[in-house]
Amino acid sequence: MKTLDVQASAAAGAVDPDWLAARRKVALDYYDKLDMPSDREEVWRYVDFDFVLGDFGLVDEPGEAHEIDNGIAAALPDIAGSMLLVDGHAVSVNTGDTDAVFGSLRTLLADNPAILEPHVAKGTPADMNKFAAAHTAFGSDGAVLVVPPGTAIERPFFVDIQAATDGAVSFPLITLATGESSQASVVIRYRSDDELNALVVPNLELAVGDNSQLKVTVVQHWGVGTTSVSHLRAVVGRDGSVHIGEAGLGGALSRLQLQIDLEGNGSNANVVGAYFGDESQTLDYRYTMHHQGLNTDSDMFLKGAVQGESLSIFTGMIRIDEEAQKTNAYQTNRNLILSDGAAAQSVPNLEILANDVRCGHGSTMGPLDEEQRYYLMSRGLDGPRSDRLLVHGFFNEALAKFPEPAIADVVTSWIDAKYRAAQEAGTV
Amino acid sequence: MSVALQVSGVRARYGDLEILKGVDIEVPFGEVHVLMGPNGSGKSTLCHVLMGKDEYESSGSALVDGTEVMGLAVDERARAGLFEAFQYPVEVAGVSLNDLLREMGEVRQDPAYAERVEAAADTLDMHRFRERSVNGGLSGGEKKRSEMFQMAVASPKVAILDEIDSGLDIDAVREVAHLVEELRSDDLGVLIITHYSRILRYMNPDKIHVMVNGEVVRTGGPEIAAELEASGYVDLVGNEASIPKPEITPFDV
Repeated sequence: MKTLDVQASAAAGAVDPDWLAARRKVALDYYDKLDMPSDREEVWRYVDFDFVLGDFGLVDEPGEAHEIDNGIAAALPDIAGSMLLVDGHAVSVNTGDTDAVFGSLRTLLADNPAILEPHVAKGTPADMNKFAAAHTAFGSDGAVLVVPPGTAIERPFFVDIQAATDGAVSFPLITLATGESSQASVVIRYRSDDELNALVVPNLELAVGDNSQLKVTVVQHWGVGTTSVSHLRAVVGRDGSVHIGEAGLGGALSRLQLQIDLEGNGSNANVVGAYFGDESQTLDYRYTMHHQGLNTDSDMFLKGAVQGESLSIFTGMIRIDEEAQKTNAYQTNRNLILSDGAAAQSVPNLEILANDVRCGHGSTMGPLDEEQRYYLMSRGLDGPRSDRLLVHGFFNEALAKFPEPAIADVVTSWIDAKYRAAQEAGTV
Repeated sequence: MSVALQVSGVRARYGDLEILKGVDIEVPFGEVHVLMGPNGSGKSTLCHVLMGKDEYESSGSALVDGTEVMGLAVDERARAGLFEAFQYPVEVAGVSLNDLLREMGEVRQDPAYAERVEAAADTLDMHRFRERSVNGGLSGGEKKRSEMFQMAVASPKVAILDEIDSGLDIDAVREVAHLVEELRSDDLGVLIITHYSRILRYMNPDKIHVMVNGEVVRTGGPEIAAELEASGYVDLVGNEASIPKPEITPFDV
């Protein structure tokens, strides 16, 4: 296990082209300078770390991956390509037979670094926080998809990201770029064992070209001992469209800080989320939708439930630049509080500088609806059965909007099972 | 004929307010009865108390085909054969009517259930609503139709239709009345709760009960409806100020 220091950063950058080496050097400086985030900062409010990044180390040899599928791979019988990343290292790659470039970051840095440069440069800035700095300073591998202009790929790509070594930190980078008038779909699964104490800092960089469509489905199924602090940055070109679905189920703390820049005129973003926390989990979402172009549309729609002692956080920011006239932007966050010890925070924000826009937000939290429960019980369903149907329906509203319906079905079955188990354990 | 619903001495209070002061109603199998009364007389409260909604403190007896249901949970009453069609059926977003039908079937374990669902969906033209959310985006008339559909599917011994005609235009009222007549059977007793007498123009109730101030003050044949239409509830309560006359607006007078 290697300490996060200057030697580790150099080793991680062994195959860096110059432009990446320069970024890495700057990032290492930030990593040294920046403190661990504190809950006194607004963007980290409610989050309290009981560790520092340096408590974890980098591994040269990845641990043993899960062989047995949890239903996600089975739901994708026909894929365009797949990759397995364990502890931050690509351990197997099926590049597929499409016209797209799909492969591990490390291989592409050696073979074709020029293809990456424009996209990586637009990713999460290293000075954003200590985790982002560490990502750029110590990250060495990841998954890359570059779809050429005019290429439509219907079958999804599958990226399986696992943590498998106790005490390890990893920094997988997922770079997805769609060329003009192209189309692609990517499914990302995060996974680790419950017994594992690991830290994963994934960065997703989405470059959505003019008039192209990119779908990304993220299934977060970390074990209860894994902490994940991830960033997603998307830049969407003219008439481009990005559709993101995230299901958050596992992890000790699982955080996703997302920013979408609707740069091109006529671009749009559809971001859906379904999350379900239990025990002492924290599920933390910080979303920013930045409207920059004319005639841009966005919709953020997240539904979450908390039970046990868990906590969920959603802060949504819609920022509309002065030039971004004719924007339509909405954000909805609905939360079910299923146990007395659980809590949800929901903070929608708007920052509107243009004067010709349509914008709306809604945020709710509370227990299951008594009137709905009474109605279902009057049809002969007992209380627990009624509640299960209500929880199912609650999430169904979000999961029905997911980019890959087959994945949504698997997530639905997990959520149904998770709630049923809580009922049987008497924790809801 | 044996009795589908036997309500005896049912009392209910909401906090300090006594709403039902000892209600007695008997609905034999095969009959359709109507419970009428002015606003605030306790009609809907009776409906909820019989179904078991827990916001009321209640006492008394209610037998569904001889089984005491007071004290049972809401779902147990439903499975004992009691059905409530709601005045305002709540929307259950994300739960399709098919999801609900499937769960209703699972708790009933009735081999004839699946066939009944298809037959009722055909008769009531409900197929197009089955994949939609329960009551989601339905018009007033469609909601009532969905309630009648669920009633047909549940195959209850007693159906209480709470203000089944409220919020409907005259065509929809007529349609609902016809559906009730269609669902009339020797295995079912129906109690229709209504404020207005207009639905009675399109159906043939066997008996009418008039409730005022938490008590049934009169029970009789369909002729009572005509009397009420002419004179309102005034003669029954002797207090004109508190009792609106049914369905007579200043423009009609």
